[in-house]
Amino acid sequence: MVVVLFGVSVLMFSILMSFSPERRAVAYATSAKQIKEIPILVAKYGLDDPYHIQYIRWITQIFKGNFGYSTVASSPTLDAIIKYLPTTIELNLFSMPIIITLGIWLGTIAGIHRDTFIDHTTRIAAIVGWSLPTFLFALILLMIFYSQFQLFPPEVISDHIDDFISDNPDKFIQYTGMYVIDGLLNRNFEVVADALKHLVLPVVTQVTVVIAILVRVMRSSMLEEISKDYVITAKAKGVDINTIHQKHVKKNALLPAITISGWLVCLSIEGSVTVEFIFNRAGLGLLLVKAATQLDIPVVLAISLLLGLIYVVANLIIDVLYAVIDPRIRLN
Amino acid sequence: MTHILDIKDLVTNFYTYEGVVKALNKVSFHVNHGSTFGLVGESGCGKSVTVRSIMQIVQSPGVIEGGEIHFSPDSDNGETGIDLLKQTERFMQDLRGNKISMIFQEPNAALNPIMTIGEQIAESYVFHRKNQIIEKILGLDRTGENLFPKVSANPLFLPLYHLALHRPDAFLLELIKKVPFLRNWDRAVLHTAIEKSVELLATLGIPNPDKIVHQYPHNLSGGMKQRVVIAIALASEPVLLIADEATSNLDVTVQAQILDLLKDLKKKNIISSILLITHDLGVVNETCDRVGVMYAGNLCEVGKVTDLFENPKHPYTKALLDSVPKIRQIGDLKSIAGNVPNLVNPPLGCRFHPRCGHAMAKCKEVFPEMTIVDDDHEVACYLYH
Ligand SMILES: Nc1ncnc2c1ncn2[C@@H]1O[C@H](COP(=O)(O)OP(=O)(O)OP(=O)(O)O)[C@@H](O)[C@H]1O
Ligand SMILES: [Mg+2]
Repeated sequence: MVVVLFGVSVLMFSILMSFSPERRAVAYATSAKQIKEIPILVAKYGLDDPYHIQYIRWITQIFKGNFGYSTVASSPTLDAIIKYLPTTIELNLFSMPIIITLGIWLGTIAGIHRDTFIDHTTRIAAIVGWSLPTFLFALILLMIFYSQFQLFPPEVISDHIDDFISDNPDKFIQYTGMYVIDGLLNRNFEVVADALKHLVLPVVTQVTVVIAILVRVMRSSMLEEISKDYVITAKAKGVDINTIHQKHVKKNALLPAITISGWLVCLSIEGSVTVEFIFNRAGLGLLLVKAATQLDIPVVLAISLLLGLIYVVANLIIDVLYAVIDPRIRLN
Repeated sequence: MTHILDIKDLVTNFYTYEGVVKALNKVSFHVNHGSTFGLVGESGCGKSVTVRSIMQIVQSPGVIEGGEIHFSPDSDNGETGIDLLKQTERFMQDLRGNKISMIFQEPNAALNPIMTIGEQIAESYVFHRKNQIIEKILGLDRTGENLFPKVSANPLFLPLYHLALHRPDAFLLELIKKVPFLRNWDRAVLHTAIEKSVELLATLGIPNPDKIVHQYPHNLSGGMKQRVVIAIALASEPVLLIADEATSNLDVTVQAQILDLLKDLKKKNIISSILLITHDLGVVNETCDRVGVMYAGNLCEVGKVTDLFENPKHPYTKALLDSVPKIRQIGDLKSIAGNVPNLVNPPLGCRFHPRCGHAMAKCKEVFPEMTIVDDDHEVACYLYH
């Protein structure tokens, strides 16, 4: 785990090193003032020194919480990330549970009812969802549900709500930065409703794009498990077909689905980039797009490191889950 | 002697992409009450498909397309019994693992890898003896015949147990199954069943049964797993036990132990009749009363083991017996020339004719019906028509 993170950091640093010392200096800056004094930074952090010495200096700064100064956000990178992160978490907080429960459920019934109408429909829907470019799908949704029916608007929150929140910092306390959760905590249901309205289309887009892979994996592992001998044993025991599917087959079929879910989490967060860009939601994805187009190196590096961290943590959780379900792993 | 199982003209096909696999082509034989019937034949001749058809657990894309399977569990009344192929799936569910049980070829694959041994044996009781277990939990056992151990249940749920006993299809029970936490209200049933499984494993001579029920299949050796599979099959005291190559994948000593166990169970009348599938003719000779020889989806010869082994009629049976080493071997061992036919396009007429030294013109056109050649000895070959 630590090894993976080390690898990611070395990789990131190597990318950083491919820029000139002057450009790299922003990655060490802590304020707007310093940005104007690049040569001082270059001298201070010894940006002409050998690779490994610079790496150690850089990683020390990272551990101190100095991710450099973001020109896009006009603030230290860490502050920018903390500001933009809640929106992305909120999006994934809604889409991930839907992806997991719906994906497993669809894959299970498609596997049980192999080659029937249900199976074909879910498969075609999954393939279409997978191959449809995210931005195209999102634009179609926006055209129908926003332009035509004025139902679900883009962005994170309506302007009047936003004004209300910034005007009344004592009445509406921002605990998490996620409007739905803050709204609930402040018992302000107008905010909750408005935030949910803004979440519908992004969540639908993200679910449609990411779910396909889970449905396919779950379906094929259901099919594989159904043909195994222990299913015949259970049948010969007199167990009814429903219990066989739900208790015997599904649990075994879940194992491969769990294995890919770490990848799924990353895919989902990656998907957030496009979704946030199109729906103009002020999340990490939007920040990343802006940073990448304006060559804001510190932000790109920090987000990549964060993704690496998320991947590692997700896989740790998966290992634990795996051990809970599969007794064969528990031993080792 | 009455027949516990009487199979007539059983036809089972598999609809695969390569074509229709005609796996069983009018198979007919019967199993006597209290006897052991052996079914032998080369790999792929349809032995497993035959017994899976009997229990109606043929895997897709297999379909049972014709025939009759008469099953009469009671030996005293001389009726023809019930035709299993005419029964509902619900009826078959109650029958499987209860009146007819099966043990399998591959103990490593036959157990669910992520369920404990106890849970897997317990399922037999939970599905076939639920009422008895609930009666025991509720203390309703007046006759003293209820042999389940007493497990105490949460007193809060006792009304639910009463309901489950008298109206098992009640809507409330369906509903409660969907509520998290509450849906495990009938834990005591499972616990009773697992306790009972411990007793069962002990009678099968398995050491530390109380530990084994909490272990998983990967913790056990192959022979141990096969004993567990046998325990699952015996849990509900079936009248007919089907053993599908139950010993083929075990090493020789374990194989002998398992066969001794089966013989012993039969002697103690724990099981009455056995349908034993094997390709080991020695095992047949030792354990079976009657035997049927299968070739490419057909039964070619059936009769008492002593008759059939001493006086084989069908050319395939003769060839099969010649291919087995004997203790006093005279002459060379002979293998059977040619290959097992493809069952998508099997040879017309007798399916053995391309490999048969006595093939006549007739053999290539029409399938030879079974003819009686001796008392309880039938053969499907034109040489005896
Ligand atoms: N699921 C299936 N799909 C297609 N064909 C099948 C299937 N199961 C069995 N068959 C066909 O049925 C025929 C009989 O198979 P079966 O398993 O009964 O053989 P067997 O006599 O039990 O052999 P073995 O000694 O190897 O267990 C085989 O030729 C096989 O091609
Ligand atoms: Mg077989």
